[in-house]
Amino acid sequence: MLSSMAAAGSVKAALQVAEVLEAIVSCCVGPEGRQVLCTKPTGEVLLSRNGGRLLEALHLEHPIARMIVDCVSSHLKKTGDGAKTFIIFLCHLLRGLHAITDREKDPLMCENIQTQGRHWKNCSRWKFISQALLTFQTQILDGIMDQYLSRHFLSIFSSAKERTLCRSSLELLLEAYFCGRVGRNNHKFISQLMCDYFFKCMTCKSGIGVFELVDDHFVELNVGVTGLPVSDSRIIAGLVLQKDFSVYRPADGDMRMVIVTETIQPLFSTSGSEFILNSEAQFQTSQFWIMEKTKAIMKHLHSQNVKLLISSVKQPDLVIYYAGVNGISVVECLSSEEVSLIRRIIGLSPFVPPQAFSQCEIPNTALVKFCKPLILRSKRYVHLGLISTCAFIPHSIVLCGPVQGLIEQHEDALHGALKMLRQLFKDLDLNYMTQTNDQNGTSSLFIYKNSGESYQAPDPGNGLIQRPYQDTVVENKDALEKTQTYLKVHSNLVIPDVELETYIPYSTPTLTPTDTFQTVETLTCLSLERNRLTDYYEPLLKNNSTAYSTRGNRIEISYENLQVTNITRKGSMLPVSCKLPNMGTSQSYLSSSMPAGCVLPVGGNFEILLHYYLLNYAKKCHQSEETMVSMIIANALLGIPKVLYKSKTGKYSFPHTYIRAVHALQTNQPLVSSQTGLESVMGKYQLLTSVLQCLTKILTIDMVITVKRHPQKVHNQDSEDEL
Amino acid sequence: MSRLEAKKPSLCKSEPLTTERVRTTLSVLKRIVTSCYGPSGRLKQLHNGFGGYVCTTSQSSALLSHLLVTHPILKILTTSIQNHVSSFSDCGLFTAILCCNLIENVQRLGLTPTTVIRLNKHLLSLCISYLKSETCGCRIPVDFSSTHILLCLVRSILTSKPACMLTRKETEHVSALILRAFLLTIPENAEGHIILGKSLIVPLKGQRVIDSTVLPGILIEMSEVQLMRLLPIKKSTALKVALFCTTLSGDISDTGEGTVVVSYGVSLENAVLDQLLNLGRQLISDHVDLVLCQKVIHPSLKQFLNMHRIIAIDRIGVTLMEPLTKMTGTQPIGSLGSICPNSYGSVKDVCTAKFGSKHFFHLIPNEATICSLLLCNRNDTAWDELKLTCQTALHVLQLTLKEPWALLGGGCTETHLAAYIRHKTHNDPESILKDDECTQTELQLIAEAFCSALESVVGSLEHDGGDILTDMKYGHLWSVQADSPCVANWPDLLSQCGCGLYNSQEELNWSFLRSTRHPFVPQSCLPHEAVGSASNLILDCLTAKLSGLQVAIETANLILDLSYVIEDKN
Repeated sequence: MLSSMAAAGSVKAALQVAEVLEAIVSCCVGPEGRQVLCTKPTGEVLLSRNGGRLLEALHLEHPIARMIVDCVSSHLKKTGDGAKTFIIFLCHLLRGLHAITDREKDPLMCENIQTQGRHWKNCSRWKFISQALLTFQTQILDGIMDQYLSRHFLSIFSSAKERTLCRSSLELLLEAYFCGRVGRNNHKFISQLMCDYFFKCMTCKSGIGVFELVDDHFVELNVGVTGLPVSDSRIIAGLVLQKDFSVYRPADGDMRMVIVTETIQPLFSTSGSEFILNSEAQFQTSQFWIMEKTKAIMKHLHSQNVKLLISSVKQPDLVIYYAGVNGISVVECLSSEEVSLIRRIIGLSPFVPPQAFSQCEIPNTALVKFCKPLILRSKRYVHLGLISTCAFIPHSIVLCGPVQGLIEQHEDALHGALKMLRQLFKDLDLNYMTQTNDQNGTSSLFIYKNSGESYQAPDPGNGLIQRPYQDTVVENKDALEKTQTYLKVHSNLVIPDVELETYIPYSTPTLTPTDTFQTVETLTCLSLERNRLTDYYEPLLKNNSTAYSTRGNRIEISYENLQVTNITRKGSMLPVSCKLPNMGTSQSYLSSSMPAGCVLPVGGNFEILLHYYLLNYAKKCHQSEETMVSMIIANALLGIPKVLYKSKTGKYSFPHTYIRAVHALQTNQPLVSSQTGLESVMGKYQLLTSVLQCLTKILTIDMVITVKRHPQKVHNQDSEDEL
Repeated sequence: MSRLEAKKPSLCKSEPLTTERVRTTLSVLKRIVTSCYGPSGRLKQLHNGFGGYVCTTSQSSALLSHLLVTHPILKILTTSIQNHVSSFSDCGLFTAILCCNLIENVQRLGLTPTTVIRLNKHLLSLCISYLKSETCGCRIPVDFSSTHILLCLVRSILTSKPACMLTRKETEHVSALILRAFLLTIPENAEGHIILGKSLIVPLKGQRVIDSTVLPGILIEMSEVQLMRLLPIKKSTALKVALFCTTLSGDISDTGEGTVVVSYGVSLENAVLDQLLNLGRQLISDHVDLVLCQKVIHPSLKQFLNMHRIIAIDRIGVTLMEPLTKMTGTQPIGSLGSICPNSYGSVKDVCTAKFGSKHFFHLIPNEATICSLLLCNRNDTAWDELKLTCQTALHVLQLTLKEPWALLGGGCTETHLAAYIRHKTHNDPESILKDDECTQTELQLIAEAFCSALESVVGSLEHDGGDILTDMKYGHLWSVQADSPCVANWPDLLSQCGCGLYNSQEELNWSFLRSTRHPFVPQSCLPHEAVGSASNLILDCLTAKLSGLQVAIETANLILDLSYVIEDKN
């Protein structure tokens, strides 16, 4: 039955696949990217610049390609951004790896080893590399983010403590996002629309919950109208339901609404029961009773000022008639999503027609501001002015466009932007390990947490960096030593009235040889950066100054044996170090967090910065694997700005930009970006980790087996039985 | 049982616009639409090889809905035009031709899509702001106190659809009818928010067009036998109407999800019929004169009502329900039990009428915002075309009521606009290129492509080999017949411009539309006396044309921006 064919899964095969995908996505990446037209099997056409959509539309056959697409999809589901960059970065990483193998195998491996044998040897080598990649991702990347990159971060909040959002920085962020997602003649308009929507829906107190609500119900919150120019798209206060009133009675004053999920008219029999009719009179009386009962319920609703009935099912004619008679408007056949959205907004549970009838007040009613028909291009919709009980102020987006495909693209992009913002507004915990060494203070760009302990190289054959969660960490009885020194510097460089406070951590020289380490560089770097920003974004400048002057809150957690002081600060990151002198090897396990709202200017800034610091890091590494991995990643990172600057010439071409950036970093000058716009650091970080995980997956595969049998349904054995 | 099947991989093509196949299909589409354009446009006969209906038309809505387009790029183009037409009814061919021309012209230039799209957008906003500005020289205010301009507007729409097969006299008649039908839908004493009524188009095929007429109220078609059976009502006051939306046939309504067990000997039919007759008694005691039902009325009930001199009409259908509700002021009754007294409505009178071979029951309203337009034409295809045209005209009148402006038709707006854009880009390029990376040369190239696309739209008005000229003062269009002598005295050959506003007796300079001209400032601000004196203007709907312009350029931009086409082959 099972005929199988095996093909060697190798970097080369993966590279070939990735290069094809890269060719497709690189045409729509960045602000200069173009549109792709996809047809669905149903014959509809869809315009897209969404990398995820494109990859899925291709219906790829190659197993590695399918795996890559799966990785991209799961990344997108979480973050809503970065599919195209994912492919480009992955492709460059594979290229880097491929180049290494080409170089290495020539003199050594070709002799006397058979092809098959070489393959296996290669595979074991890939295994090591993939483990090194994993180690890098889990242990080193966070450290570099925290220690070096963090000083370049800007914040989207104008006040870090209260997390008030600054409109102009949000505009810059969204504009940059939509640059890569919608057609270039519409991106400004769409980003403005999103920005307006965001500020209209949010109250000052609303937190992450609003994002969840809007994200979950985005489909219900927008209405597509074809045949109108895109510029007719707008935001409408209140909720627009894509239904028409079954009966509409204009009303004003104190208006209440109820939600029902079943027919109001009582029926002869309910499910599972039997109704026995013995005489004609019995039938007539029961019909009469049903009629009277319905009438009474509707009258009662009327007496309670209910003017709107929202139903998830179709109501019988009788109900509609009595609703109309009593001045109640009815909307029927709402989808369960629409009902749940309304319920989440107004916090109302469905109305159940009372069995025993009383004149008491109906508990499940809610006030509405208005309910009226809305006509968009000769189609009628229901327009509700709900009074929100949560932090979300209901607004609907009307998306116009000449064709449905374009509207879908815009809807998709808006939804993606929402996901991106949702991620951006989360704090990110960074956990990493540093290995201390004695090269203190040699580079002005490094802040050493500890020093003095000699660095012990791990087992050379191992090829792995020791894991941070060694048993010794827990068993260690040594008390933790940490000191915080606050270095207060008043910067008079840019704005004299802004007081800057920066916490610069260093360890006290009690356990270690003296190396009081001054990092004024960081500070100058920061203030210089602000200096540059004055030209561009006035509000951002304020951001930073307030952000940096906010005092962090300190939380002390006492464990049985070790004490960790966790200092969370906005704007800049402060790692907490637990130094564990352990058999001569000093390993520090650090955890800190990146505050919500960290952004960087667009145009490959993140990539160039990370590239620079990774190269620096690689220079200090003693292990060959680690160095190699860092180098490969650092070089692959540059692939992204290369694509972005492809069409630029002269001063703005990639080599010029790159050299300028590196020079600025070496001389501690601020980076100057040629483009305005911001991007989420969180998104970039998540992208990086997703790509590395995907690459690890690819490298660990040694063989692809083709099974020529129809796919079968996989029975999840441990799903229901065990529950 | 479901079967899982692996999906076939999609087909991915890069730079789709450069392929020969796309170019040829685009030019075929362009040929089809340009040859249909204008009063002398050629008709298209669309028929299916498997038999069935043959459609003769020159309208974009009928044309595009019958065409089967397979290429995704063409699909984008046609759907965007169809969407435009379904929301504005007019200017579909204009949009299609402009879009095709623009794509073709721009492709020849070989500029990067970024530049093209950016500049197209600038030029579009220039056009829109000009057409909306006070100084615009090609739009006139619509005066609702006289029918002159409105009639011109309707007549222009009728004459631009040659497939209606109307003579000059018939055109005048139908234009007047359409205008009357529209005016009947406007409520008499409206304050603030106006809700327009509805004109229902009643088909009457095989009659002379001159027999078409407009009646206030609703016509319900009936067979002669049925009509004879209805007893005449003689009543001086208004008639009381009950309108049912629920069935009165005696069906047993929804009994729920459980089972209903009926004992032997119990007849539910009788029970329900008793109920229906009770309802009839209530109607009688409420002095109802007319019972209308969307669905079926039980024959016994019908008989019962007739016996008590109540007219009962069933099977009205869902389409007439809303106009009936509006006209009679009833509330559709969904109950077989007690009826609330305020759900009854009224009509002024009822009568029977015969038009051609058809018999109608005519409900005459107290206050008319609902009217019926009985539309006649010789054969089916011509009737269909005429009906579409009437709907377009009614819609255009509604749009004009919202935005009381009209554009000069007959191609004059396009040539005028092209002259304005040429002048603007030539003399004031800095204002357009404010913060962009585009150069002036690029702007000149794109502006030329844009203007010549606009002018080619106008060029396709001429199908008989004639020439098209433009004057150098107003930038209007003048056409000259094919067999006229080459070197001639222009004022004698040309009588008046495309829209009919100016005549050739003025001292004007002309040049051929396709020749190169020095940019000039077209005269802005129309003189009021000129509009008043011109008897027979050709006018276009402003709202529809503005949207058509926007849709054409947005769609062209969209298509020019495509770098890949991924076709799902499943």
